[in-house]
Amino acid sequence: MISHLFKLIWNKKKAHALLIIEIWASFMVLFGLLSLIVFNIRNYSQPLGFTYENVWAIGLQSNQDTVGIPQKAQRIFQRLKAYPEVASVSRASNNFPFSSSNMNTRVDHEKRHTMVEYYIVDAHFSNTLEMPLVAGRWYRGADSVGKFKPIVINQKASEELFENENPLGKIISKDKQVIGVVGNFKGKGEFMSNQPALFEQLDENNDWNKTMLVRVKPGTDAMFEAKVVKDLSAMQAGWSVEVDHLTDSRKTQHNLTLVPVIIALIVSGFLLVNVALGLFGILNLSIARRRGEIGLRRALGATGRGISTQFIGEIWVLATFALLIGLLFAVQFPLLDVFDLQRGIYVTAMLIAVGIIYGIVTLCALFPSRQAAMIQPAVALHEE
Amino acid sequence: MITLKNIEKVYRTTRIETLALTNINLSIAPGEFISIMGPSGCGKSTLLNLMGLLDEPSAGQVQIGGEVVTQYRDRELARLRNRKIGFIFQSFHLINDLSVIDNVEIPLLYRKGDAVGASRREMAREALEKVGLSNRMKHFPGQLSGGQKQRVAIARAIVGRPDIILADEPTGNLDSAMGNEIMNILQQLNAGGATIVMVTHDETMAKQTHRLIRLFDGALVGDSVLARTDD
Amino acid sequence: MLANYIKIAWKVLLRHPFYTFITLFGISLTLTVLMVLTSFLDHLFGSHYPETSRYRSLYIQQMIQRDSARTSRNGGPMSFKFLTQYAKSLKTPERVSISTFYSTSNAYVGSRRIKLNTKFTDADFWQVTDFEFLEGKPYNEQTIAGGDHVAVITDDFKRQYFDNLEESAVGKDIEIENLHYKVIGVVKGSPVTRIFTYADVYFPYTAPKSNYQRTGFRGDYVAILLAKNKQDVPVIRTEFQDRINRIPMPAVSDGFKFDILEVPSEPYVENFIGMILDGGAGLRMLFFSLIAFILFMLLGLPAINLVNVNVSRIWERASEIGIRKAFGAPVRTLVWQFIVENVFITFIGGAIALILSFIIIKLINASGWIAYADLTINLSVFLVSVLVCLVFGLLSGVLPALRMSKLSIAEALKS
Repeated sequence: MISHLFKLIWNKKKAHALLIIEIWASFMVLFGLLSLIVFNIRNYSQPLGFTYENVWAIGLQSNQDTVGIPQKAQRIFQRLKAYPEVASVSRASNNFPFSSSNMNTRVDHEKRHTMVEYYIVDAHFSNTLEMPLVAGRWYRGADSVGKFKPIVINQKASEELFENENPLGKIISKDKQVIGVVGNFKGKGEFMSNQPALFEQLDENNDWNKTMLVRVKPGTDAMFEAKVVKDLSAMQAGWSVEVDHLTDSRKTQHNLTLVPVIIALIVSGFLLVNVALGLFGILNLSIARRRGEIGLRRALGATGRGISTQFIGEIWVLATFALLIGLLFAVQFPLLDVFDLQRGIYVTAMLIAVGIIYGIVTLCALFPSRQAAMIQPAVALHEE
Repeated sequence: MITLKNIEKVYRTTRIETLALTNINLSIAPGEFISIMGPSGCGKSTLLNLMGLLDEPSAGQVQIGGEVVTQYRDRELARLRNRKIGFIFQSFHLINDLSVIDNVEIPLLYRKGDAVGASRREMAREALEKVGLSNRMKHFPGQLSGGQKQRVAIARAIVGRPDIILADEPTGNLDSAMGNEIMNILQQLNAGGATIVMVTHDETMAKQTHRLIRLFDGALVGDSVLARTDD
Repeated sequence: MLANYIKIAWKVLLRHPFYTFITLFGISLTLTVLMVLTSFLDHLFGSHYPETSRYRSLYIQQMIQRDSARTSRNGGPMSFKFLTQYAKSLKTPERVSISTFYSTSNAYVGSRRIKLNTKFTDADFWQVTDFEFLEGKPYNEQTIAGGDHVAVITDDFKRQYFDNLEESAVGKDIEIENLHYKVIGVVKGSPVTRIFTYADVYFPYTAPKSNYQRTGFRGDYVAILLAKNKQDVPVIRTEFQDRINRIPMPAVSDGFKFDILEVPSEPYVENFIGMILDGGAGLRMLFFSLIAFILFMLLGLPAINLVNVNVSRIWERASEIGIRKAFGAPVRTLVWQFIVENVFITFIGGAIALILSFIIIKLINASGWIAYADLTINLSVFLVSVLVCLVFGLLSGVLPALRMSKLSIAEALKS
């Protein structure tokens, strides 16, 4: 029976070409959309690696002031620490969690190398962001006197550089020594993919990297925030003081991901509804046109159920043709590694898209094929 | 082979009732070649549909090969049509998108179990040989003449080796030369043992059968055995 | 004759409500997406408040410094000094404005925190742009020379900062980062999508923390060059380019030695696209092919769908066509009938799309998704849509019509 259906479709391939293109195009749209969604859901399901509630990022800019910046920054650090409302303070580079800036660098170990998100943070960072260590320990102030710069890397970086070896004590890029490993660190929020990250001890004597990450005690309000800004501005006249709540920046980062996905979802959704309606109409018409054939098949021994199975079978064969072409296109993405996504994402997206396409065509064929099954053969055969 | 008892057929729409057949009693023995005649709208086709199990009588009983089909459901009716009955239509009803041999194979597709793949092909080829079209197997219906089309339809009707062949004006769309060709094939089939019921307008065609039944306004008005002219 | 065609078309539509619905759904969906999209692009790139003279403006947004080996590259906004020296002094422009992009800050009112964006500008900023002053006036050269701590705020910021909205904010004091400024004007705000003019609070460039004193090439400032008319735009570009080319190379600035210096002055669209695609030819290629693919799907899919439905429907009406042909209607008339019908339904779909887009645009404007969003269906957007409407109508009308004209009378009558 299946080969019979293939023949029916194949012999009418010219008439079916547009329909196949339509299903193919729908598949491509679905594949694109699903790749995007699967990618983001996968990322979202991976733990963030730190906590951000009640953490503020206080950005400092010295503007025209150029004298004794490190000392002044140090004084601000001490002042912040002294507030009873503050639980913990850490000094960090501008690419603090959820910020819009980022820093990358290439690091190597023996013959292996990888790009890492590069954070310059002080000894209190893991404490302030509540990052548990998987192995080793976070660096301390005293570590900086050694021959190598003490660094902490995340597990992803460890895998990229050392595979299954123990990373502790290893030297990276000639001058950095791993002394600790954290789990994930997704600095741009839940939707970011789990990238390799490297934390290097901050040199408190330089002029840069003076963002203060402050974990305040729960229940602290804007009154305190205003007081901090006032105090700090008074301490260092001419400096800019800017406070960001990590919860707010996180929302901004999420929107950067979610808004395009939602727009794509809505537009694709309407496109597919459109296609489904059209398909439904076309199938209805094709059944009206093939009443004679239906009558004949009934006369030759097809049951009503057999007729509806045939029509659903036909659209499946049609969809299979279209999907094979679609898969031919879709497979190029993982093969050519177009967007640098994991292959699993594409494969999952392909499978779901294939499933949805079969679902849609089945749904569209269900009602017309039932109509077909109810056609009276005696009437249909004598209509002409 | 076919027995109709007290058959009545009424077509109902919301407004009108049309009596298509009334009080039909008819018994057809195996190996008979019967023609049914009557003016347009007298119920010939309806009678043929009832015999072919394409339609149900409003009252009365239909027996095919000894089986009473009154209580039969779709699946059993389909099985009977497939195994016992072959259909031939005035307008051929070939599927234009399938090749000749694929058209002939269709009844075998609805048969579970005994005919698969290669053997289906073989049966279809034999049927086409019987109607003299083995050289046109790969053609499409659009490439054939009317007479050839009807021969394909006959091959399709006999491919499943049914006991009964129901032909609804098989020569109606053909010129007389082609019509005679078709009649010859039908007679051969009958000689081979098939029971044939043929609806026709054509007196000369009807005269070539064994028995002539006349219908008028849904009633059986004549049933005569004819002298054999073929031998 | 046309009226007759339309009458027939109308009857055909009513006879098959389901197919009419499918067709209208497809057309109006596509057109709505298209119109909202064009309207958004127009919002991004068109000349709108307060950059109403954008069409005759050039934007200098970044300076790119490279060494001759092209191994390192440094880019970003420029110093106030650099722009004053090379842009402000240009002869051809009507006016030149230098300002910063916005930077974020916070203000505190009691226990409330107001997030705000600040911008430092020169006095010409208010001439180059077309801000509507609801209260007060802008700062001028004299205010700036006097070094007064003044600010122009937006109506939105006024609403957030001051309790009494009836009272004029002019002359009042605002405190930002421990510094006090006197409000001298209140303007209707600019949408965040217009980064050259968007901010909540505008300061003269001489205000504290503006960093206008920087002496190197790089800094926080950008410039808008306003031409007297559109024809002057290329002239200004060349003039500015000449000046940049005359800067002796190699040079050292901010501790970075470079041999190549590029400072593009570009119309807004060019500048915007350059900003997105600052990633080399490969990325640009990928970006454009992706956009092309999305557009193709967006327009192609409904179009194929429409053509499919229409091609299928032609059979449904085959007998009607047969009768008409048998009575002597020439093929041309029938094709016309079909085209008129399609164009007609496309226009109905267009009208529905117009209403839908209007509602969606209103919703976007009201949602606060983009503050001060002013998306509109303007004439150009509408005309583009009508044109697309027509292409659609013809595309889905001509193909089935051609097919139909090939039907023989007997064949058509038979089915």
